[in-house]
Amino acid sequence: MKKRSFLFFVIISTFLLILSACGTSSSKDATSTEGEESSEKNSLRIVTNAAYAPFEYFDGDKIVGFDVDLINALAEETGYEVEIEHVGWDPIFVEIESNRADLSIGAITINDERKQTFDFSHPYFLSTNKILVPEDSAIQSGEELKGHIVAVQTGTTGSEAVEKLLGKNHKDIKKFEDNNIAIQELLQGGAAAVVADNTVVEEYVKNNSDQKLKVVEDSSSFEQEFYGFMFPKGSKLKAEFDQALNTLYDNGTYVEIYEKWFGVEPNLETLKEQQ
Amino acid sequence: MTFRWDIIIEYLPYLLQGTLLTIGLSLGSIILGSVLGLFIGLGRIISNKILSSLFYCYITIFRGTPLLVQIFLIHFGVVPLFAGETNAVIAGVIALSLNAAAYIAEIFRAGIQSIDRGQMEGARSLGMTHSQAMRYIILPQAFKRMVPPLGNEFIVLLKDSSLLSVIAAPELMYWGRAMGGQYFKVWEPYLASAFIYLVLTITLSSLLNLLERRLKTV
Repeated sequence: MKKRSFLFFVIISTFLLILSACGTSSSKDATSTEGEESSEKNSLRIVTNAAYAPFEYFDGDKIVGFDVDLINALAEETGYEVEIEHVGWDPIFVEIESNRADLSIGAITINDERKQTFDFSHPYFLSTNKILVPEDSAIQSGEELKGHIVAVQTGTTGSEAVEKLLGKNHKDIKKFEDNNIAIQELLQGGAAAVVADNTVVEEYVKNNSDQKLKVVEDSSSFEQEFYGFMFPKGSKLKAEFDQALNTLYDNGTYVEIYEKWFGVEPNLETLKEQQ
Repeated sequence: MTFRWDIIIEYLPYLLQGTLLTIGLSLGSIILGSVLGLFIGLGRIISNKILSSLFYCYITIFRGTPLLVQIFLIHFGVVPLFAGETNAVIAGVIALSLNAAAYIAEIFRAGIQSIDRGQMEGARSLGMTHSQAMRYIILPQAFKRMVPPLGNEFIVLLKDSSLLSVIAAPELMYWGRAMGGQYFKVWEPYLASAFIYLVLTITLSSLLNLLERRLKTV
């Protein structure tokens, strides 16, 4: 009797697995036709993870940041009205994949794995991963991370970069939900280093000088990364926004926004080379 | 959107490895939590008001704050204080046991108090000491009544161990999240790990059913 009820559960759960897979694929078909209609409408739904200063973060109840200013300028250029909504990091990918949102901003790195599922705009920002270590640490390069415990944020390019150095899902890699907890792990002695985007670690060191941390740069271990705006696969918006981005590059608007947020001039040539 | 079985197969070794740790963490916490829970439950019913209120405080604190917060506090605060560095597995067992102990204590208390006063009086009049009466007469009867709520608690504990993924304890949910993080998929990792949790809880509850039947007197 017991045995049979166990089998029953296994069958039911397999069923659920299959059902959910079908359910999502059919719902995608339904929404993709809606998506075509929505390209005629003038208002775009933009999703983001507003917890990544200075790219996008909450100032009171308003989402502000570099990405926000840039997308507003692009919207003006293309004639769309935009509505930015904070949904969190992982949900961004679900919202876009299921066509519930028109595009996503969020310091999203363009890579081949993501390109399988999504479309990206031309690169609009150059970033690299850097290593955060205690001031007295001997670690000076990515190679020297071997043999040490490294904390990263799950699903980020920092995590990928460390996996390339140490091996995929290596036991010395600790993956956390966000960079804050990863840095906390470092502070409490649970990890020797944190690898994350340069803007994150540099901001952290700038704001927490009492924690005695330093940033190590290693341009040979960590490749240049480019951020792009993310669209559902096959979105017609991509071409429009790519064109508008080039206009902003040429008329100086992009430079103006970049200097407002980062205080330095952007490297436009590197960005344009990537197109 | 297609359901990618290939990434589940790719991550299966990790998921199974994580499942083993989940089982280990849960078993360890069930045992530690039950011992501690029995102790606290007994402490809760002693007649000394000051002492028993201490145990009551323990229950209030651990039952009244979120387990997630307790995990963070123990991982980043308590364990480094003693060990000098963090250890997710140790912090995990401690947090789960301490939390479960608060609930188990109340189960023990309710079980013991549900036994008719006459049983204790009868045992005492046969010449047993209080602790003998507790051990041979009250607790065996109480335990039978405690099995279903204890089973509930164990199943909750097993599922709550998934919260340990936030401190990077490489258990089942951790690998599920790692898989989602790599491929930016949600259905595959979450359904796969949900399925494994389901298998674990079904196994646990059938073991508990077996125990319940064994204890059945009539």
